[in-house]
Amino acid sequence: MADGAQPSPEARPDKSREDTRRDRPVERLNGASFIHQVALAGVLVVLVTVASLLLEPFTGYLSIALLYLLLIVAAALKLGRAPVLILAAISALVWNFLFIPPHFTFYIDRLEDAMMFATFFVVAMAMGHLASRLRSSEMAERRRERRTAALYELAHQAAFATDLETGLGAAVSLIASVSGAQAALLLRRKDHTLSELAHPASSFTLSEREKTAALWAFDHPSQADGFIGARGDSSARCLPLQGRTAVMGVLCVRRAPGKSLDRGETELLEAFAVLIGLILEKDHVVEAVKRAEVLEASERLRRALLDSVSHELKTPLSAVQAGIDALGRQLGGDEEKRATLREVQSAVRRLRRVIDNLLTMTRIEAGVIQPKLDWCDVAELVQAAIDLAGDGVAEHEIAVEADHDLPMVRLDQALIEQCLYNLLLNAASWSRPGTTITVRAALDGDRLTLAILDEGPGVKETDLRRIFEKFYRASDAPPGGTGLGLAIVDNFVRSHGGSARAANRETGGAEFTLTIPVETMRAEALEELA
Amino acid sequence: MSEKVTALIIDDEVQIRRLLRVVLETDGYRVLEADTGEQGLSDIALRRPDVVLLDLGLPKVDGLTALRRLREWSRVPVLVLTVKAGAEEKVAALDAGADDYVTKPFDSPELLARLRAIQRRSSTEKDEPYFQAGHLAVDFSSHTITVNKQEVKLTATEYALLKVLAQHAGKVVTHKQLLREVWGPNAEEQSQYLRVYVNHLRKKIEAPNAKERLLRTEPGIGYRLVLPTGGKP
Repeated sequence: MADGAQPSPEARPDKSREDTRRDRPVERLNGASFIHQVALAGVLVVLVTVASLLLEPFTGYLSIALLYLLLIVAAALKLGRAPVLILAAISALVWNFLFIPPHFTFYIDRLEDAMMFATFFVVAMAMGHLASRLRSSEMAERRRERRTAALYELAHQAAFATDLETGLGAAVSLIASVSGAQAALLLRRKDHTLSELAHPASSFTLSEREKTAALWAFDHPSQADGFIGARGDSSARCLPLQGRTAVMGVLCVRRAPGKSLDRGETELLEAFAVLIGLILEKDHVVEAVKRAEVLEASERLRRALLDSVSHELKTPLSAVQAGIDALGRQLGGDEEKRATLREVQSAVRRLRRVIDNLLTMTRIEAGVIQPKLDWCDVAELVQAAIDLAGDGVAEHEIAVEADHDLPMVRLDQALIEQCLYNLLLNAASWSRPGTTITVRAALDGDRLTLAILDEGPGVKETDLRRIFEKFYRASDAPPGGTGLGLAIVDNFVRSHGGSARAANRETGGAEFTLTIPVETMRAEALEELA
Repeated sequence: MSEKVTALIIDDEVQIRRLLRVVLETDGYRVLEADTGEQGLSDIALRRPDVVLLDLGLPKVDGLTALRRLREWSRVPVLVLTVKAGAEEKVAALDAGADDYVTKPFDSPELLARLRAIQRRSSTEKDEPYFQAGHLAVDFSSHTITVNKQEVKLTATEYALLKVLAQHAGKVVTHKQLLREVWGPNAEEQSQYLRVYVNHLRKKIEAPNAKERLLRTEPGIGYRLVLPTGGKP
């Protein structure tokens, strides 16, 4: 058992055996005090008998019966039912033997004495019975009261404790004070498995055997409500701490040596377990809410920072752009000045691209960018990307090779457009003006493939694997560019669950392929919609 | 135009205002400036500009709030300037009553084209029976559409779609607006209808090998029927 992770059948609390186990200690408890109580009853009978022998010459033997009745009523308030009944029987017999004439025999001479004796016997028995019933209901009442008080105490101390540690500590000491038992707590870890280390508030260290039982209780909360290891001294009870939605841990209770838990205490512990489970769950929820709030606050801050940085970078850039445009109109035909202005314009364009890429990369890393899928026309998407590239690819021939009847696909058009745009500019910067850049679009099942092919020098083998890394620039890269363009492509495509790949064409030149899983909608679907 | 068109620039950046002034004045506008939303609103009320350029990132009263307040009492055409690349803010501005947007940093020719397009609105409201953009010609009185002088047959829905886009030619029309005007107020969420019909319409009205595309998608926002340079209705 101690060496196995899986509890052996003996340790598993099966229902039928468990019931007998639960009852047996209760009997033993009564048996111990039973002898004690009968002995006490005997002593009382002797005392009353001695007193009666002294009184009898003055009162007569009939009044003695009343003394015995008094004794039985008094005893019934203190003793159990069986001792009282035994006491009643003994009293009747002693009265008969010592006081009813003829003395020192059980024989009764006169009819009225026989009637007296019979009445006395019945009354004594009935009194004993009634008194003990009264007492037992009073005791049950007291137990209930103690239980309610204990639960209230736990609720008050543990649930309203400033932190969980104090709360659990209070719960453990409360268990000790109401049942005299030691308690250990194993809590659920963040990954929803049971911790092997007992919570610091625990008042004993669990044995391997108990840990295994605790784990079993954690995994089978609906069945685990029993003793484990009744044989031997390892007799901790493992109760799952069942919250409203999940089991938050296990409460193990080890009874004090020589003392066992009665039914009331067991029920009380079960109620405790439920309450502790709820407290833990509440704590868990409070923590989660706090974490979410902190996360949200930092997210807001990051967004605000991004917005303000982007505003600060783009506003002067807008001013510069507007200035270039205005100057262009004012210059008229001065070709020399126009050439200078064109240089400024191309520098500004380059700056714009760098800023855009940096901001986009920052947004990606801040997790602000989530693809918003919508139906889009692939041909239109490709054309829009080419338009967007505009002057950047003006010196190249652009060839589009797309299937004629491509269906509508669901993706984030803005993001994929940006990917194609980056790839087009990348292709244009690597290949000589006048060469052809080919854009291919095809659909294979539910995978959309977009490819950009150029006639440049291709990608070196050593760069192929790293080309999509952030800030990575090929050793022979043309000037300009930050090594972000392809990293952004890779990110956007991956955010769609797709992949980006670089390869070299057999005819020379590089080939970038984006493969994106998409939902598709054929034009025929239109009829169904309408 | 005998009288100059008045444009009001509402932007807190003095540099942007100065340079926009130069760009607009070169194009023949009379220019007013305001540096806060409140100042802008009172200028619109008192000086009645013909068109407004509104920066969304204003301090204190932000552009969107100013726009909403403005739309309570004025229908002056508003072009929104924004630094944000995403669609959300633009859609919010368009829903709040902006006529179109440009993203900073913008190219001046693009800005001027947008400004012209949003002023055109009032003229198309006069029920012009003809519309022309590049190779596309629409005669609303006889429901005839020709592409490169060849008649094209459109379904009723495609025609309705084209009509809305043509009425707002040069301007962006949001998905919501198109769905509402073509399919009715209950169809605002049925965006897949729109994608499919626009796709069909595009195939019919765009000449197969034309370099210029007439029907442009603004991802996440809507569609724009582009007026090729010089093509005025």
